[in-house]
Parts: sequence; structure tokens; C-alpha cells
Amino acid sequence: MTSFGFGLKTLSTATVVTLTAALCLVFFYAPLDANQGFIQKIFYLHVPLAMTALTGYIVGGLLAIAHLRTGERRWDAYSYVSIHISVIFSVAVLITGSIWAKASWGHWWVWEEPTLVSFLIVFLLYATYYPFRYAIEDPERQARYASVFAVTAGAFVPLNFLAVRLTPSLVHPRVLATANGGLPNSMLLTFLVCLAAIVLLWITLVKFELTAKSASGQVKRLRRALDAPAPNGPSRVAPEVG
Amino acid sequence: MPALPLGEAGRYVAAAYIVFLVLIVVYVAIMAAKLQRIERELRELAGFAETRQNPVPTGRPAAGVRGVDPTQPQTGPDPNLAPPEAVGGPGATTRGAPDV
Repeated sequence: MTSFGFGLKTLSTATVVTLTAALCLVFFYAPLDANQGFIQKIFYLHVPLAMTALTGYIVGGLLAIAHLRTGERRWDAYSYVSIHISVIFSVAVLITGSIWAKASWGHWWVWEEPTLVSFLIVFLLYATYYPFRYAIEDPERQARYASVFAVTAGAFVPLNFLAVRLTPSLVHPRVLATANGGLPNSMLLTFLVCLAAIVLLWITLVKFELTAKSASGQVKRLRRALDAPAPNGPSRVAPEVG
Repeated sequence: MPALPLGEAGRYVAAAYIVFLVLIVVYVAIMAAKLQRIERELRELAGFAETRQNPVPTGRPAAGVRGVDPTQPQTGPDPNLAPPEAVGGPGATTRGAPDV
């Protein structure tokens, strides 16, 4: 049996330390942007979140491939949790992006901008993952169909990203367009620490969710085992609901 | 657009970081609720398992139990001899593990 809780404490500590360091760098070390001023600080949160969320979707697709190849349910669980945490990150990307857009462009949303719309399409695509998955009752079919969805949608993410990079931008900047990201060293260092912190946070939350799911599954198995007819008495365990 | 003054930009930056923080806190709160439920179920199951290992006798208790004087004739049916359904449903005599 896989123990997902192993190393969770160390990972959580590393995440908190890195996040704190990242925030200190953002507000006390990184210089103000000459063009945007203080509002550019959102960049250090928004862009790492977007990159991690999109990568998480691709990871979910790769894990789904592992499930389809091996038939082992744990890969499906990994894929599900990866997508789940990435969807939460995507919500944060959309909200922080809208706030930044309002401050920079004067609008909460610009429908003509391909970067924004493409990310919204990816988010909505993955938002349909949950009803699609839970509309299927049979666990085997549910896992298989969800994996096919994750693979298809996961393949769409890099294609979509490439398509957006090739289109001319209206207002959204093309970040990391050069080898060093077009950033001065102090900004680049801050950005990389922020990226590391957000990636660590993603991994920690995935591990946390997997640990909770594993514990819940073990409790259910224990409940079923205890619910089996006892040699000297009736069942004393309430049936599972749902 | 020109850069916003620090005071106004600060509000937007604070809003963005607070949104992120709130999302994380809400997620952690939901996970905490889940873990509490799992812990409660585990306590319940541990109680069941302990009761299984040391089953409580369900037959007639020893004389003197529940204040019944064995020397006096009983005026009604002995509740300990009644079927479980009559005193609280099936398995009522063994249901309900104590909460720790």
C-alpha cells in the first residue's frame, strides 16, 4: 500500500519557507518596473500560477496515459488530483489576471486578447472534467473515460499554448520571450524563486489531497471489513451513504 | 496607460495576493473538514473493532443486575428476554460504540 503521507511534513515546511522567501523578494528586493510600477508585482504571482496550472494539466494527461497503459487505479487517482489542484490554480490565475488587467488596461477582461480567451477555454474545458467524470457510475468505466478525457485535454494544452504564442498579442505581454526572460537579474531571480514556491505548493497540495483520499479509502475498506457478518453478532456498522 | 500611483496600485496588488491567500485557506479548511470526518469515522470503527474483540453478553444478566431482586416475583416481562426489536430495534443491545 502506498503511503502518501511520507515526507509531507518536510515538503510543507519547504513550501512555507520558499513562499515566505518569495514574498520577501517580491516586496523588498525586486525593483519596481519602469513601465508599470508597483502593479507589476502581480506578475510574480500570476505568471508562476499560470505556468504551474498548465503544466499540471499536462502532468494529469501523462498520468492518465500511465493509467490507460497499466490499468492501475492509482494512476487515475494521481491524474484526477493533478487536474483538481490545477483547476484551483487556474481560478487564482483568472482572478489575479483580471485584477492586473483592470489596473493595467482599465478593463477586467479583454475578449480580443487571445492569451486570455485561450486560458479561459482551457479552464472551462477542465471544468467539464468533474461532471463528465461523476456522470459515470461504474468505477472502472469512470476511470477509463476520465483518463481518455485527461489525455485529450492534456494534449490540447501545449497546442493551445503554441497557437497563442504564434498569434500577435493585442495587449497581453509575451513573457519569457527571450533566453533570460527579458528580465533583469534581480527580477529573474525573484521570478524563479516564486515559480519554485508555486510548484512546491502544487506538489504539496497534490500530496495532501492524495493522503486524504488514501486515508478515506482505507477507512471505507475497514468499514466494509468490519461490516462483514461477525461470528457472534449482527452488523453494527451503518451502511455507507452515497 | 501610465503607471498607477503607489497607493492605488497597492490596493490592486493587495487584492491579488489576498485572493490567492484566501483560495489556499479555503482549500485547507475544506481539507481539514475532510480529515476531521475521517478521524471521526476511524474512532467509530476502532470502537466497533474493540467491541467485536470483547463482545458484550446479550443474554440474561446475573442476578441483581439492574436492581432486580431475584427473590421477588417479577410483575412484567423481563426486558432482557424481549427480542431486540422490542427494546430499540435490531441489534439494539450492541449498537452504539462509545465515542472516545
